[in-house]
Amino acid sequence: MGTISKRESLTFLGPSEALAMVMIYMGAKAFLGYPRLMAYQGLNAGWLLTVLGGLTAAAFWLAVSALLARFPGKSIVEINEIILGRPLGLGLNALILVYLVFSSGVFLRQFSESVIITALPDSPLSSLAGLFLLTVLIAAYFGLESISRNSHIALPFILIGVAAVLVSLYTFWDAKELLPILGAGAGPVLVHGLLGSSAYGEVLLLAILAPFFSFGANTIRKVGLIGIGVVMLYFAAITAVYLMVIPIPGATETLAPFYQLSRTIYVGRYYQRLESVFVLFWTYTAFLQLAIGLIVTALAAQATLKLPYYRPLLPALAVLFLSLALTPASLMENTIIEEYQLLYGGLFLFLVPFGVWALAALKEKAEKQ
Amino acid sequence: MAARWLVFREEEPRDNFVLLDHKQGDREQQGRNSRKSGGDEAVPRTRISKKPRPIRRKKEHGKASNPGEDEEGFYTKLLVDPRLQTNKDYIETIYSLPKNQDIIVRDFTISLEPPVQAFAVFIEGISDRVTVNESVLKPLMLLSGKRPVTEPAKLAEYLKKHVVYGNQVDVQDKFEDIIEKINYGGTAVFLDGSPYCLTIESKGWEKRPVGKPVTEQVIRGPHEAFVETLRSNTGLIRKAIRNPRLITEIFKIGVRNKTDVAIMYLDNLANPSLVEEVRRRINSVDTDYVSESGILEQFIEDNPFMPVPQVISTERPDRVISFIMDGKVAILMDGNPNVLVVPTTFFSLLHSPEDYYLRLPYGNFIRLLRVAAMFIAFVTPAFYVAITTFHQEMIPTDLILVIASSRETVPFPTVIEVFFMEFAFEMIREAGVRVPGVIGNTLGIVGALILGQAAVQAGIVSPILIIVVALTGLASFAIPNYSMSFAFRGVRFIFTALAAVFGFFGVSAGLFVLMTSMTGMKSFGVPILSPIGPRTKSGPDILLRGPVWSMEERPDFINAREMRRQPDISRGWIKSSPQEPEPGGGDNQQT
Repeated sequence: MGTISKRESLTFLGPSEALAMVMIYMGAKAFLGYPRLMAYQGLNAGWLLTVLGGLTAAAFWLAVSALLARFPGKSIVEINEIILGRPLGLGLNALILVYLVFSSGVFLRQFSESVIITALPDSPLSSLAGLFLLTVLIAAYFGLESISRNSHIALPFILIGVAAVLVSLYTFWDAKELLPILGAGAGPVLVHGLLGSSAYGEVLLLAILAPFFSFGANTIRKVGLIGIGVVMLYFAAITAVYLMVIPIPGATETLAPFYQLSRTIYVGRYYQRLESVFVLFWTYTAFLQLAIGLIVTALAAQATLKLPYYRPLLPALAVLFLSLALTPASLMENTIIEEYQLLYGGLFLFLVPFGVWALAALKEKAEKQ
Repeated sequence: MAARWLVFREEEPRDNFVLLDHKQGDREQQGRNSRKSGGDEAVPRTRISKKPRPIRRKKEHGKASNPGEDEEGFYTKLLVDPRLQTNKDYIETIYSLPKNQDIIVRDFTISLEPPVQAFAVFIEGISDRVTVNESVLKPLMLLSGKRPVTEPAKLAEYLKKHVVYGNQVDVQDKFEDIIEKINYGGTAVFLDGSPYCLTIESKGWEKRPVGKPVTEQVIRGPHEAFVETLRSNTGLIRKAIRNPRLITEIFKIGVRNKTDVAIMYLDNLANPSLVEEVRRRINSVDTDYVSESGILEQFIEDNPFMPVPQVISTERPDRVISFIMDGKVAILMDGNPNVLVVPTTFFSLLHSPEDYYLRLPYGNFIRLLRVAAMFIAFVTPAFYVAITTFHQEMIPTDLILVIASSRETVPFPTVIEVFFMEFAFEMIREAGVRVPGVIGNTLGIVGALILGQAAVQAGIVSPILIIVVALTGLASFAIPNYSMSFAFRGVRFIFTALAAVFGFFGVSAGLFVLMTSMTGMKSFGVPILSPIGPRTKSGPDILLRGPVWSMEERPDFINAREMRRQPDISRGWIKSSPQEPEPGGGDNQQT
């Protein structure tokens, strides 16, 4: 990956850490508006959209991982330059970089807004976004190794926490709410399902961090597929329970679906209103997601711009994230942006590398001839 | 200077030690040695061919000045002079005699044929009087047999072999070595006409006998603790590990005052690169004086600014023994009852030796209790502040009413109350350590009962807060490692402050930063959160432990030379099938 700092060059992550990172990077959006968007697009078949999106994403990922296999030990940033040449490659990498910054900015705003909705209604947005950024900046300064290990340790707790919420709502489950099975109809479900692959676009993280892994392209492919698979099940489970507990049309209007779910829990007098406890789980996930976003963006920028170190970029990127997060005038505006991102983000994250892979395949064929 | 804070500078590349598998480690080590031999060859120490000139002493203002006064260790290149008076001058200069009054110089005559003049040097208080009299002076003055000795150069060797019957006697010619022996309780005997000196081991100072542990008590298990004497401590370990491959290496650290530091490890178990790294770190310490193992710990640890310790400090020999048997390295310092063990992990810091001595269910029960105590110790005040300030909906209505009514008369916000009481608790704890023992117990009772009760009655704090503070304090005492307990005691104040401003969101931020910082920490090349971050192979002994017969292998992160502790079936008796009871017979059958 271009030039990397001496310290980072010693970092090699194992498959379990890579898997944890990619799952958290992809899966954190379940705590934001993702289940609502699925309910809105697919109505009662919202959960089906997550499955179709996951399958489409897996197909795209196979192409991207095939591209990585052609250039062992190289990141997608380097590969773009090798295949497209320096000027075009630089342009494409800049595009990916812009998307990464934009995406983290949107997430930062959404997470901060969610904290206001769920826990601190009187706190100013900038103070919450500020704490998010400060914390994430410290974590990114500790480095990729620390963040990946933190993800690996936290992942089981996050999964157990989510499972606990879903199971605790058992008494409210109403399976009839999942019918009709195709919800809004086969056409809309198929279209939105394909576009829904964007929700898994963060799997590209593996392609950006490829030089930091202690394993080869084959394992990268497997890690990506397992990550997409598990996150798909997790998205499907959350969306399905959401639809079963909060029926349509209410499900299409909730701003913080997961919060609403945890708030609904009533198992007994002493096991109710546990939304604050789950704040710990999902904010921890949000910290991890943003920290991964920050360090991945910094490493991608370092490689794109051929810089010796990435750490000086961290404060600058943090300021960019904050500026972007505070740009939308209202929560609603940001929610619309988030929806666009969830629909069309895949164009950047999947179609561009897919195009590069196709070009590489054509080039190879031409060279052989 | 200001530019330092304005301009980014990447951290200076350090020699980042990573504990590798011992085979790789060996290769690394070979590489390191070959580099070392190529670039920085050790200069062989040769005997000074030219005899050093006697130190000139000049009179100044009627007093003898000391030419070596401002030169620390000026005597390091001096050799023993055949002239007795010259040696005496050296000794007087080195020890500033006669100003220095606990240095004893005893002139006497050795009853040989012809009689040889000599003098003995030792330090009152650290040399054993009986040994000096019975093993040094008596044989030399009375029992040397008036035999003729022709060669003065061989005199010292002759006396060592035939006359002096101390158990450790050396013939030496370098003042540096002689002074070192004298400073450590030995007796030096200088002989007229001989360029060699006899040094006889005669240590004998007041020392504490092996006693009970003070901070790491157990109900089941040995009740021995380390003491301040290095050799007693090495002996305590060696008497338990009766293995010839147990190595004790001794180094001296400190320039102005040399202190003995020993490392102990099993040669055929400890990773050679780990041993080398320990040696390297200890030998690289360049300071005037290291008085305590706590100071040595700060010199050799990886991350000095992090709250969690990266070295285990223990006063229990059984604990050190179990670590050595796992392939770790123990570091002992003279004058210290605390032994350091490296590398360590976060989970080792939560373990107590008693966990293993007790049966499996009991051992796991106290481990679970301790883990719960750890969390209680650092998040309970923060949770209390967060819940009462921001997340009241979490508390059932009846309970919130009780809390609200108890806080009705309290004029301060919850966070002020918490800080006030936590600070008071810490003061009681600190004062309890500092005040004399008799008052100490009273102070604890006064602090805990009267101050708490009075504070509630005065309406300064609410009664529920007293429960919170007491619970937190109690939990912090349940953390078995003293340094770790400190870490969580400090961190809880930060968590409380974060909870006061951001509620659970703040607590989550604090946890995130704490975890991220810990995941990046290493202890002698081993990640502190091993074996879960990064995930490495480990036996059933992380938070909970499995049966002792299931711990077949040593933890992977230690990279010991031999990973296996025991075979898959370590309980040999289960291999053989039980004897079939005879028909009509049985243990319970009454006859």
